[in-house]
Amino acid sequence: MSRDRIYAMLLRHYFLTTHHLERFADLLIFPIVGLVMWGFLANYIQVQSSSLAAFFLGGMILWVIFERVGTSIGIDFMYELWEKNLVNILASPITTVELIFSLVLVSVTKVLISFAAMVVLAILFYGFNIFSLGFMLILFWINLILFAVSLGVFSIGLITRWGHSAGPLTWVLPFMIQPFAAVFYPVRVLPQFFQKLVWFLPISHVFEGMRYTFETKMFNSGEFFISLGLNVIYFSMAVAFFTYMLRGSRRKGTLAKL
Amino acid sequence: MTGNAPILEVKNLVKNFATYCAVDDISFSVGEGEILGFLGPNGAGKSTTINCLLGVVEKDNGQIKMFGLDVAKHRVSVMQNVNYCSAEYVLPWNLTLYENLLVYAKLYEVKKAKQRVLEVLEELEMTDMRNTIIRSLSLGQRARANFCKALINRPKLLLLDEPMASMDPDVVDRGINLIKKIQKEEKMTILYTSHNMWEIEQVADNVVFINHGKIIAQGSPLELTRQELALEAKEPNLREVFIQLSRKKLSRDSGGDKDVSR
Repeated sequence: MSRDRIYAMLLRHYFLTTHHLERFADLLIFPIVGLVMWGFLANYIQVQSSSLAAFFLGGMILWVIFERVGTSIGIDFMYELWEKNLVNILASPITTVELIFSLVLVSVTKVLISFAAMVVLAILFYGFNIFSLGFMLILFWINLILFAVSLGVFSIGLITRWGHSAGPLTWVLPFMIQPFAAVFYPVRVLPQFFQKLVWFLPISHVFEGMRYTFETKMFNSGEFFISLGLNVIYFSMAVAFFTYMLRGSRRKGTLAKL
Repeated sequence: MTGNAPILEVKNLVKNFATYCAVDDISFSVGEGEILGFLGPNGAGKSTTINCLLGVVEKDNGQIKMFGLDVAKHRVSVMQNVNYCSAEYVLPWNLTLYENLLVYAKLYEVKKAKQRVLEVLEELEMTDMRNTIIRSLSLGQRARANFCKALINRPKLLLLDEPMASMDPDVVDRGINLIKKIQKEEKMTILYTSHNMWEIEQVADNVVFINHGKIIAQGSPLELTRQELALEAKEPNLREVFIQLSRKKLSRDSGGDKDVSR
């Protein structure tokens, strides 16, 4: 991998962000407004259960991380289509791996900025410190980001093949996963059929594992490793899918017309 | 096609799409420092060929060599010495010219990238527009901005796909002078497609004419004029040659040409 080429893509998205006000909204305003709303809800719930309130707020912050990483990879890729720049980039020496890696790096960088802002504001306004849940939980967060990355890479595979019309899936895919992700309620409240289905979702293991840690103060290595294993499979599948779609698009000649 | 060592060699290139053959077993080469005009009517297969050269479209068959290397096997190192410019693709609209060029300089791993960006801006007389956002540039300025990007890595092989389509004659004239100047200074090899025959006459050493995915004529502009129009021609007249050749229908069974023109 070439550092220069990856740096070029980071630079491209840095410049893009400085010229697009709506990207600041994506970076800070949406996460902060979400935090404010869920913060008030947590305050209201706190009267009945302080631990539930804390989990609500923590769950919301982590969900935003997941959603931002997943959608940001797709949106950043879509900018190349919107600006008719994809061919310029793909005609350069950049490799598929470098392209994916740079998109992931851009989205993780952005989400770290959003995360930092939300953590600080949650402490300041709601007295909630997400790190009080335990630093071991960071391992779960890595799993969360990995799954989001897989979803993002999968969505750019769809965009590569079907172009603009597949773009909205970037936002829809995380939204469709949310009811089954066990973010705000445990898996056991889901109907039996869905309980079996969500076993295959790494994100549900992340939130179940975190919930376990939160209740027992012990790290749930079982949920962690299941989630990690599933992530390895999904990430490999997502990269293979993107590569396959990119090749298909090159074969059919649709890439040049995206 | 010149005596110089070939920088670009295309052998038996084939590209089929679902319902038609866009490039049908074509072979040509471009020597070092040569400008090859790559001509043909709309849908002839020019852009598909260029997209195959760039790797944006995957070929079905044949071999593409640049600098003696198989592009399929050495894409990264080859593409560092190649660039291209097309009126169809503009630089990202919301970035300034300088920002765009810096991104591309890094993408092509140009040493001393910032210095090179300033050099290119100077060469193309765009220094005063360095902080202008691309969408604020005029059509002609955007074409020059595209040239800046195409030259950022000092390419040894430059692919120009109708770079001055829809430009006014003044802009085209300036563009042509610019290409001549750069080619002379940098000894650049250029593959040039255009529908403006005057452009090709001004710059091309040789011409390949493609129709229905097949090469149907090649030679210098004057040779082609003599071959297709009049043996005694003293000046090239590619416009008439273009019309003549475009109206020829390929005879599928014999591989020869059947004239169905005017």
